[in-house]
Amino acid sequence: MRFFTFHLMPYNKLPDDFEEKYDTAWTTVPNSLYDPVYGHELYNRFLDELIYAEEIGFDGVCINEYHQSVYGHLPSPNLMGSILARQTKRVKIAIIGNALPFYDPPTRVAEEFAMIDVISGGRLIAGMHLGGGPEYDSFSMNPTYARNKFQEALDLTVRAWTEAGPFEHYGEHWKLRHVNPWPTPYQKPHPPIWISGEDSKETTELAAKRRYSYLGSPYFHKSFLKKNLDMFRKACKKNGYTAHEEQTGWLVPIYVAETDEQAWAEYEKHLFYFIRKLLKGLMVFPPGYSSPKSIARIGIALKQFLGNIITREEIEEGGYAMVGSPETVREKMKDYVQDFGVGNVLGLFQIGTLPADLTKKNMTLFAEQVLPYLRKELGEPATDEEISNALAVN
Amino acid sequence: MNSVTESKFIDVRGKRTQITIGGAGPVLLYLHSAGGEVEWTRFHEMLAQYFTVYLPAHPGFGDSRGLENIHSITDYAWHYVDLLDVLGLETVPIVGFSLGGWTGMELAILRPERISKMLLVNTAGIRIPEAPMGELFSDDIEKLKSLLFYDPNSPVIEEAMPLSFEDNRILMWLKAREATARVGWNPYLHNPRLPDHLFRIPCPVRILWGNDDQLLPVATGKFLVDALPNATLEIFEKTGHMLPYEQAERFVEEVRKFLSD
Repeated sequence: MRFFTFHLMPYNKLPDDFEEKYDTAWTTVPNSLYDPVYGHELYNRFLDELIYAEEIGFDGVCINEYHQSVYGHLPSPNLMGSILARQTKRVKIAIIGNALPFYDPPTRVAEEFAMIDVISGGRLIAGMHLGGGPEYDSFSMNPTYARNKFQEALDLTVRAWTEAGPFEHYGEHWKLRHVNPWPTPYQKPHPPIWISGEDSKETTELAAKRRYSYLGSPYFHKSFLKKNLDMFRKACKKNGYTAHEEQTGWLVPIYVAETDEQAWAEYEKHLFYFIRKLLKGLMVFPPGYSSPKSIARIGIALKQFLGNIITREEIEEGGYAMVGSPETVREKMKDYVQDFGVGNVLGLFQIGTLPADLTKKNMTLFAEQVLPYLRKELGEPATDEEISNALAVN
Repeated sequence: MNSVTESKFIDVRGKRTQITIGGAGPVLLYLHSAGGEVEWTRFHEMLAQYFTVYLPAHPGFGDSRGLENIHSITDYAWHYVDLLDVLGLETVPIVGFSLGGWTGMELAILRPERISKMLLVNTAGIRIPEAPMGELFSDDIEKLKSLLFYDPNSPVIEEAMPLSFEDNRILMWLKAREATARVGWNPYLHNPRLPDHLFRIPCPVRILWGNDDQLLPVATGKFLVDALPNATLEIFEKTGHMLPYEQAERFVEEVRKFLSD
């Protein structure tokens, strides 16, 4: 069982009437709302929170890539990852991931990820993502090529890491006469690969086939999350093996305070800033991004998406966030982890407008009073060797 | 009331293409919109009272295959050059709605001698910087209703599009959106090179436009009537983008008049 602190790096200073005045927090949300002087403080604070995660015993830190968004103003996770590579000593740095089709040519991912892996001494977890719906909108890239490009870029990246260069690549989307990235990764044959999906059948099958780790979409009702994880495990079976728990992860907002009551009193408005403002107008599926069947399936599940949730009771019932006293959160999380059968918990300890002091208190209480209990009940973290033995890295 | 005589698949240079044929009288080739109206609808039936209507589904729409070999609107136009050959249609009149109108113009540029007349309805293909287009690729069905129809509560909406993700037409609709995005995501619903080639379309063109079209503003129709060598424009008041649904009677009457003149 491994525990990560995941950070969205949201922009937390939107006007109070944001949701009345603006359609969306994505793609077209006017960047005149951004204050770079305040941003200076915010980025440094968020980095401090991730560095603090190492001090208090987390196994890793996670960041992701978002463009033209206040949900996460984090267009380059590799810049943040390289800072973390230098400023931490022990934790895994999970960049989940780079939106491969947007790196042109995608050998840039092979290069930048290798740099972070080398700087950090082999602590990178390399997330590969096909880019979210909003990214295709933000960059006007045709989403009907998303899967095709992702597949080619992924193959190329892994090949660039495992096959001695220079070599030629003549694919459908990229034609490269000299593939020969310097540096090559510290971890051999290459860093562990996580595929974060939007829960289409296509993505789970790809991750299963290649024995990568799979992270389902967050913010859905627990029954939908479970179904997706089962879909992934089924795909592993179909490929002739049983999924290792290390191959799955669960991303969830967590808030721990002294009592249940206090936790909700401190947390609720910050969580609802996230729900009402930051999830507003999220275009999950541009046309052609997934198969019509996958889009239809998730389109129906969107009714049970955190962005459409109105009450605290619904949040408790659906497991959209783990909130409460240390006792409550540890019992809840133990049940959820066992039910989901996941080996990685990616906790969002800062959300929406949650301020620095409460974020720190939350992380500290979790690290001191929840994490040790869950480790005891659910197992110590797997070693690198166990993980690489379990996953046939190809 | 159903004059469909045939619904079948034909092989168009390796692309399995769905086509429905119905009615009696001179042939009319109907090129459908991004909405993917490839099933016989009310206004097709009305057209079939005067014409033998050929209603093919573009590759990727309905049960037509071959989207993997479509990378631009020009590929659609070439598909129709091939389709005319396969069907043995030497010259035909075209009715093209929205995406279908765009395809029709591109086809007429490639093979002007094959198109006798062209009726364009709220057609895509042109970008007027001063009159920005609406957002067709939104996944919010309520927003789309107001974007596409003059009256977002009109009963005709149900003929034209699924009303929720539970609707059993949703898969066909999502396929239609995918195929539209393939040729119209970027550049968005237009071909920047098209205006320079419009002079190559010699046939008589009748342009119909809903004055309240929020997806493709009427300014586009006004531009086209000037840019095409032999065109006239008819503006429909209190009408949105989905003109053939919203004004079926008047639309059919326009087609009948224009093609029988």
